[in-house]
Formats: sequence, C-alpha cells, structure tokens
Amino acid sequence: MNLRLELTRFLNLCFALASAFMFWKGLSIVTDSHSPIVVVLSGSMEPAFQRGDILFLWNRNTLNKVGDVVVYEVDGKDIPIVHRVLREHVDENTGKQLLLTKGDNNAGNDIPLYAKRKVYLHKEKDIVGTVKGYIPQLGYVTIWISENKYAKMGLMGLIGLSALLSNE
Amino acid sequence: MFSITQRFQQTSNQALSFAIFAAVFVVGTFWAQLYKDNAFALPSSVGNVQPHINVRTSRYYGSINGKPKENLKLSFDLDADLTPLFNWNTKQVFAYVTATYNGTLKPSVKSEVAFWDSIITDKANAHITLRNAKSKYSIWDIEEKLSERDLTFKLHWNIQPWVGTLVYGETTGETLIKISDSKASSKDSKKPNNQQSQ
Repeated sequence: MNLRLELTRFLNLCFALASAFMFWKGLSIVTDSHSPIVVVLSGSMEPAFQRGDILFLWNRNTLNKVGDVVVYEVDGKDIPIVHRVLREHVDENTGKQLLLTKGDNNAGNDIPLYAKRKVYLHKEKDIVGTVKGYIPQLGYVTIWISENKYAKMGLMGLIGLSALLSNE
Repeated sequence: MFSITQRFQQTSNQALSFAIFAAVFVVGTFWAQLYKDNAFALPSSVGNVQPHINVRTSRYYGSINGKPKENLKLSFDLDADLTPLFNWNTKQVFAYVTATYNGTLKPSVKSEVAFWDSIITDKANAHITLRNAKSKYSIWDIEEKLSERDLTFKLHWNIQPWVGTLVYGETTGETLIKISDSKASSKDSKKPNNQQSQ
C-alpha cells in the first residue's frame, strides 16, 4: 500500500471526470444550448430518427425555418421533445418568433403537448437547439443504462472491478 | 506494465480520432456529391392552387376562447423530380410545400407555413407528380384573417442522412397566389365544431 500511488490514482480519476465535465460545458457555450447532444427517446420522428439515435444541436441561430428539426422543452416537464417546425411567424421589428411543431410520425400538430393554454413555442425561450448532425443508434447505451437496473448495477460492478484489478 | 484503464484510454483515444476522421470524410463526400448532382437548384412547379377558406371555432384549429379563426385549405398541382437527392448516404427525403406571406395588421410580421409534406424513403418514388392534391394541413394565421393576402408557394426538401449532417434546400419554382375574401365560401362557419375543443 503506497499512499502516494493511491493519491495519484485518485487525482487521475478527478482529472478524467473534470475534463469530461469541461468538455460538456465548453460544448454548451459554443452551441449556446444547455444540452448540445441529445439521445432520441421516442418514435415520433420515425423514420428519420429512431429511439437511441444521437443528435447534435446548435442554438446560435436567432430564427428557425419551416422544416427545421428542433428540440424543445415544455414548462413543467423535463423531457426534451424532438419535432419538426411546421409554421413560423416572426416579427422583424422585435425579432420574436413563434413556432408550431409536429412529429413526422404523429398525425396532428403539437398543441396538445405544449404547456397549458399555449398554442405556439417561443424561439428564444423554449427551443433547446436545432438538429444539425446525426449518428444512428449509438445512444442506445445510455437508454439501456438508465432504464435497466441490472445494466446499471453491471456497469458499476465493472468499474469497481477494474479499479480493484488495475494494480500496476 | 499495462493496466486496464491505460488500455481502455488508448483504445478510446484511437477510436475517437478515427471517428473524427470518418465523420469529416463522410460529410465532405456527401456534400460534394450533392453539389455534383446539382441538388440545390432543382426545378419544380406548384400550380393550379385552389384555396378554400372556412372559419373554425375549435382550439385545435387556432381559435382562442371560441373566437372565430379563418382556416385555409387548398388543392394544388405539384411537379418535381427529387431523384438527385438520393445517393449513398440518403436515408429519407422530407419534401414540403410552404407558403410565405406578410402580416396585414402588422406588416413587420413575416410568416412561413407548411401546407403539405411527404416522406420519401425510396429513389423510385422521388419523382413527384400531384394533380388536385389536397393540402395536408388546415392553416390559420396568428391574425384572425388569413384571406386577402399574397401567398408565395415553394417546394423545399430536407435530406435525413444515414449518418452526418442534415441537409436543407429549396427548389427553384415559385408561385404567387392572392387569397381572396372569405365571405363567399364561409357558409359552414355556423356549423358547431365542439367535438375536439375540450
């Protein structure tokens, strides 16, 4: 048991965690979005996006166009929704934009999903980002880990085991 | 000498640098292919636009507190060949017809609304020919009235790739239609339409 070695190992772990956090927050600043990478959770945009697909967002655009796929959050619910813009109304004097969205795989528009008495989304308040890039299926790992308690325990076990076995 | 964490780090580093290289390569060749196929200047025509205005009082047709709201549906012809949008990285093409117009009460408000859209997943179906097609959506404006304005119709497209960036573009055809006053065709406005207004 070497205290110096153990401390170094602990420091390395902290370094790894801190750099991951820095990367995430840095990406947040660059894209101006509080969650610049999202994993699709529902099939409402099929066949474009399936459950588990990874989307890269950008939120520095001041306006959205019809046809853009946007991620938005409804007040009071913390699940982000990925849908397509169906209509946009922008006041060029104030720069305020109203959006109506719809999932490609849904029959009707999103008004029933919006917060109570709301019939439009506000671009600058509700939109988390516009989808720019796409990687299929890779995000399924995170869905699997967050929804399956055995997967979660298995992952924890693996991390613990590797920490125990990693003596030089 | 080697520990599990070190090996993991090395493998993941290599995987990451390979992934970045592959991403740049895929996106670059995809866009180059689209420019080569002249995808950003495809011809199209939207014609024979027949507007039908009626007034609705349901929340799901834009009415707020039961105030009447003009809704616009239409039938139209559409011709376009979107075959050049299909290449090795095209998963689907989302084709949509939009109209742009200005506000009447507030001229600074610019609007764009989608009347019709279609998901094309196969190159064989990419040649669109529609005759007297009905609009998919009933459109209302933020203002009460939508009639007595000029609407400019255009066909747009969005490519969803197998992997990489989403690509947007518009076709060159453009059609300007003046939507006339609604009074002539607003007979069914008295019809109660409460079944959806809960």
